[in-house]
This record gives sequence, structure tokens and C-alpha cells, in this order.
Amino acid sequence: MMTKDRYRRQALVRELGQNGQDMLATKHVVVIGGGGLGSNSANLMVRMGIGSIDIIDYDSVELSNLHRTSVFSEEDLGKSKALVLQEKLQKVNMNVRAKAINQRVTSENIRAFVSDADVIIDGTDSVPLRLLINEESIRHNIPWVYAGVYETVGMVMGILPKNTPCFQCITQNIPKSTMKEIPVLGSLPATIASIQCNEAIKILLGRHPKGLIIYDVWNQCFDSMNIQRNPSCITCGRK
Amino acid sequence: MNIVKINVTVYGRYKNIAGNQTIQLDITDGNTLRDVIDVFVKQYPMTKKDKSRMIVTKNKMYSSYDTMITEEDEVSIAPPVVSGG
Repeated sequence: MMTKDRYRRQALVRELGQNGQDMLATKHVVVIGGGGLGSNSANLMVRMGIGSIDIIDYDSVELSNLHRTSVFSEEDLGKSKALVLQEKLQKVNMNVRAKAINQRVTSENIRAFVSDADVIIDGTDSVPLRLLINEESIRHNIPWVYAGVYETVGMVMGILPKNTPCFQCITQNIPKSTMKEIPVLGSLPATIASIQCNEAIKILLGRHPKGLIIYDVWNQCFDSMNIQRNPSCITCGRK
Repeated sequence: MNIVKINVTVYGRYKNIAGNQTIQLDITDGNTLRDVIDVFVKQYPMTKKDKSRMIVTKNKMYSSYDTMITEEDEVSIAPPVVSGG
């Protein structure tokens, strides 16, 4: 459906251009987690013209999800998040191949899910799963973009294996969280997902990410923290 | 008393709490990042709940709280990594 017209305004962006737009159409993105962050990121990636996208999530849409995503609605309650996203996003852009994977990501199956990804987008809500993504990313040289939210604070970090710090590099001392429900301002995941997609697009077009982005929307603090690779990192360190 | 003056760059809401992105802390007891955190929290009590989980770097490298420091080192402190989705 008139692909060039669809992306006309985006291809006018100097940093992207028609070449960048064409390049995006050849790329494959895997979104792990289809909640507040993942659903908003998947939505943006499909609209921006990524070639193909897999959305992996085992959960169903719950009423408590609706305050922080612009994709799900009340009619989706109880349905698979991955399948709902596939159906809705495919309608947004028929030029993109959207695929739902209604499974839980584990150490046994993650390789099969991400092996052909050009970038992995983090839509999860747990540190252990992010560490699993991180290990797979480092082991098989697949870039990924971490994003997380808490109350009014969001963080994003693009990770290029063996080039930038990895997730383990910045989380080595974190005690295990015992929090059952993480408080989140409704507008925050969409804001942070937008930043996450910016980082993903830049990686896909060959730019190197720069450090940890911290955005506290309540206190109007936007920072980019320069962190270097830790040579003794147990995951990405030079052994 | 031996006072070690440490220049610290702070991020996120810590910038608002401290009133500046760069601050100087006087460390009178000890010479590790944990000692820097202790002084930071004491000086800015609103950061206390994050105390055990802050992102701390020495010379731009994420470091454990037990890492030794000197006045020449560049220290940064940010709020804890967030994990919601």
C-alpha cells in the first residue's frame, strides 16, 4: 500500500533519509514482553516501517494493564497480549510482517526466538529475564535495548555486544527485588518506549549507543550517563 | 583528621535533590565508594531508600561499593536501575 508515501515525512529526516528508511524495511526486530513498554515499542516500530517483528509474551491482557498502553482496549481483556498485538499492528501496517509468539521465554528456548534478530527490544518487567536476554545477546552478538520504568523514572540503554557496557555491567550489586507490583505512572511507559525505539532505530542504522539514559518525568530530569565497559564483567568482560 | 575531597557527578532526581549536577563531598571516614555513599545519603536524606542499590561509577566504570577511591577519582551516582515494564 503506497509504501513510499507512508514514510514520506520520516524519510525527509536527514539522519534517516530514503536509504535509512529502505534499510529499516530489511530489519527484523524481536520484542520480548508485550506489556506497557513492549506494546508501545512494538506499535512504534511497526509504524516506523521495520521489516518484520516478533512479539513474544505469555500473558493475557488484564484491566490493570490498560492505564499504561495505547494499544490494548477493554475488548482485549483476557486475550493473549502477543496475539492481540499481532492482529492490531498488522492492521496498522500491512507492509510489516508481524508475528505473535504466545510463549514464556526461558533459557532453553530463547536462542530459537532471537537467533535471526537484528535487535532485541526489552519489554519485560524482571531483572532475571533481562539478564537472560543480556547473556544471549553477548553470546551471539545480537544488539538489544534495555528499558525499565518505576514510578516516574524510566531508563534506557542500547547494548552493542563487546562495544558498549552490557546490562550485567550496570547491575552487578543489585539485591533481588521482592516487590510484587511495580508502581508506574500511566504515561511513562509510552514515553520510555519512544526513547527505546529511538535507540533501536539508531542501532539498526549503524550508530553506536551512548550510555544510560535516565528520565525522571516528575522532576524534569533527563540525563545521559556515560558508563564504560567493565573489563571484569562476568558476562561481557575480556577473559 | 584526614579529609578526602571527592568530586561527584549525580544524575536523575539526585540532581534536583543536591541542587547541582556536580558536588563535592568530604569523606572523613574511610576511602571506599561505600563511604562516599554514606556521606551522600547523610547529606541528602531523601536518597536514603536507594542506599543499597544506587548506580555508582568510578572513573565511568560501574563499581562495587567496596571499591577504593582517591581524590583523583571521578565518581558518579545515579538512582537504582528500574525494572518495571
